[in-house]
Order: sequence, then C-alpha cells, then structure tokens
Amino acid sequence: MDAKKILECERKSFNKFINFRLSHQFMAVGIAIASLSIIMMFVRAFAMEGETEWLKLLLKKVLLVGMLIMSLSKDKVEDEMTVSLRAQSYAIAFIVGVIYALVMPYVEFGVSNAVHSGGEAFKDLGDFQILLFMLMIQLMIYHNLKRYR
Amino acid sequence: MENTIKVERAILSLTQDELAKRIGVSRQTINSIEANRYVPSTVLALKLSELFNKPVNDFFKLSIDD
Repeated sequence: MDAKKILECERKSFNKFINFRLSHQFMAVGIAIASLSIIMMFVRAFAMEGETEWLKLLLKKVLLVGMLIMSLSKDKVEDEMTVSLRAQSYAIAFIVGVIYALVMPYVEFGVSNAVHSGGEAFKDLGDFQILLFMLMIQLMIYHNLKRYR
Repeated sequence: MENTIKVERAILSLTQDELAKRIGVSRQTINSIEANRYVPSTVLALKLSELFNKPVNDFFKLSIDD
C-alpha cells in the first residue's frame, strides 16, 4: 500500500468519524433516558433516604448520555441544510459554553457575596454543569435555527 | 444569490413538497432556498438543473452583494 492509498484510507475513516450520526429513532431513546434520569433525580432528592450520593453522580452521567444521544440523532429528513444548521448550533454552543465557563464562577461568587456578606468562596464550575449547559444550548439553538430557517 | 426556483417549480406544476421529495431534501429547505435564506450546494443546484432541464445559471443569479 503506497502513501497515497494510506492517506485516502485515513481520509475516508476520518470523514466517517466526523459524519457519524445516530438514526432518527434514537431521538426518542435520548428523550426517554434524559426524562427518566431527571425524574429519578427528583425521586432521589425527595423520596429516598440514606447514602445516595453515588446515585446522584450516576444520574448526572445518564442525563448527559441521554442529551448526547438526542444531539447525535438525525432528523426525520436529514439534508445538507440540517447538517449545516447542526454545525452552526455546535459552534454557537461551544463559544457560549466557553464564555459561560469563564464568566459564571465570577457571577456566582459576586451574587453569593452580595446577597449575604462572606458568602461562598470562589470556585470553578464542574464538568457536569458546563457539559449540561453546552448540550442544552446546542439543542435549543438547533431547534430555533430549524424553526426560523 | 437570487433564484427563480419558484417560477421553475410553477412551470412544472410542482409543490414545494413534491420538489423536495424529487431531489431528496426537506420541504423547509426548498422554502429557504426560494426565500433566498439558504444557498444550496453545487450538488443540489445540479440536481435542480437536471430536474428543470436547464443550466444552473438560468435559475441562479449572483446578486450585487455577492
């Protein structure tokens, strides 16, 4: 196999990777997983007793997986325009997510100290908070871009 | 970019939905192209050209902004 063939093979597999999408049916699966995890979060918070911190962590991950499945699933009619809109939504979600991660800790710190003196100490956002926010923004922006196309 | 897809579609008596199905896109995509909100790819433009049996230049024109 010469260098050209190797390059072509690599290009093909890379394109396959970046064009990867789940079928439309996975949207329902993603919604079900995300909804169930939110319901279970409420159940854990208000109806369960004992040490359930592990469940909270697990449910957070499951919620993110559900939203990721929603984000990766194709539309009923997937065409070049939906691909372009999805790319735009990911770009916007990434930029907004970075700004959120940079600004939000200061906002939280400022508000906390303004409301009661000697409030919370400054702390960075957790991975869950940032990822949830980015996925939410991506899904919302994509939905809105499709509505106004 | 300006286009006369709506006129070409009317000549063939096609609805947006029918045209969309013929070239494998959604009705909303046809609507966006007709309203000049979306510039289609070369592939889509050539599909339209084949369907209308006209060169792409006949129904896509560059505007002053382009």
